[in-house]
Amino acid sequence: MSNTPTSTDTIHFRTRRQRAPREQTALTLNLAPMVDVVFLLLIFFIVTTEFRRPEGLLASRLPTQSGQASAVAIPISPILITVRQTGDQPSDYQLEVEGFTTAPRTFSDLAGFLTEIKDNPGFDDKTPVVIRAADDCMWDHLVGCWNAAVRAKFKRISFGQGS
Amino acid sequence: MEQREKKSYRPRPSLTFNMAPMIDIVFLLIIFFVLVGTFASAEHIRMDLPNPDESQARNEKLSDRAIINIQLINPDDDTSPIVYSIGPNPPEPLEVIDRRLAANKAAFPDLKVIIRADRRARYADVRAAMEIIADNGIEMMNMAALLGPQPTGN
Repeated sequence: MSNTPTSTDTIHFRTRRQRAPREQTALTLNLAPMVDVVFLLLIFFIVTTEFRRPEGLLASRLPTQSGQASAVAIPISPILITVRQTGDQPSDYQLEVEGFTTAPRTFSDLAGFLTEIKDNPGFDDKTPVVIRAADDCMWDHLVGCWNAAVRAKFKRISFGQGS
Repeated sequence: MEQREKKSYRPRPSLTFNMAPMIDIVFLLIIFFVLVGTFASAEHIRMDLPNPDESQARNEKLSDRAIINIQLINPDDDTSPIVYSIGPNPPEPLEVIDRRLAANKAAFPDLKVIIRADRRARYADVRAAMEIIADNGIEMMNMAALLGPQPTGN
């Protein structure tokens, strides 16, 4: 048994590297770039996010000049709500519903008051509601009145001239 | 000497930082911000909107709309004068806004107008804007207010 190659054997040349025992390299995913990007995204969202209460819309219709004036007066008397600014603070206001001796104190009271009125004979949800205020009244109070009328399910709400 | 060298050779335990839990949390935070966040529109200038009790305002997306912003020049001063602006435009006099509304109305006959007024603005100032809206033949006007709890049922 000699190791000398015979004429029929094939000799495969192997380099030193091929002859060396192979080390198994661990397949690892390099997470560093992903972590960089993810942190950038996180910082972006943290810096730019601002928590705010969402806003919505209260719909209304304005009288336009294109419509023709009605020849016959509408026999329905509207509910006239007057809101007055009584001080500098947003809570300084006074409500009055024309023709009624009791006056609601808050806008929630006004909503309940209007609901009671609507259930009386002669009133329904189509009864016009007109909100009047002086020029210096805060917009918040007018929107409060409008919102109260919507809560009471009135459908024809409008702003009137200043009181 | 040879023996000492052999003793000092120890395979060092590799110090690796396990990043998996951190990545989990960071991803959760990103998903939270992506879901919760809505990108603020340039039309919606930051202001103190009316905040009625049990707000009946509805979250509606209107097409063919123009937004008129009425804001205090100095938000820290309740008695500050106000300025008008249309959408993301800079503040302009009411006459210019009137002309812009007329042009918008000509382009979009079903134009709807949203009034976004600071809650501390005075009625006279908001009414002036309402009057130019009505003068331009625009019938649908919407008032922006903060949303309250959503109405249930009916």
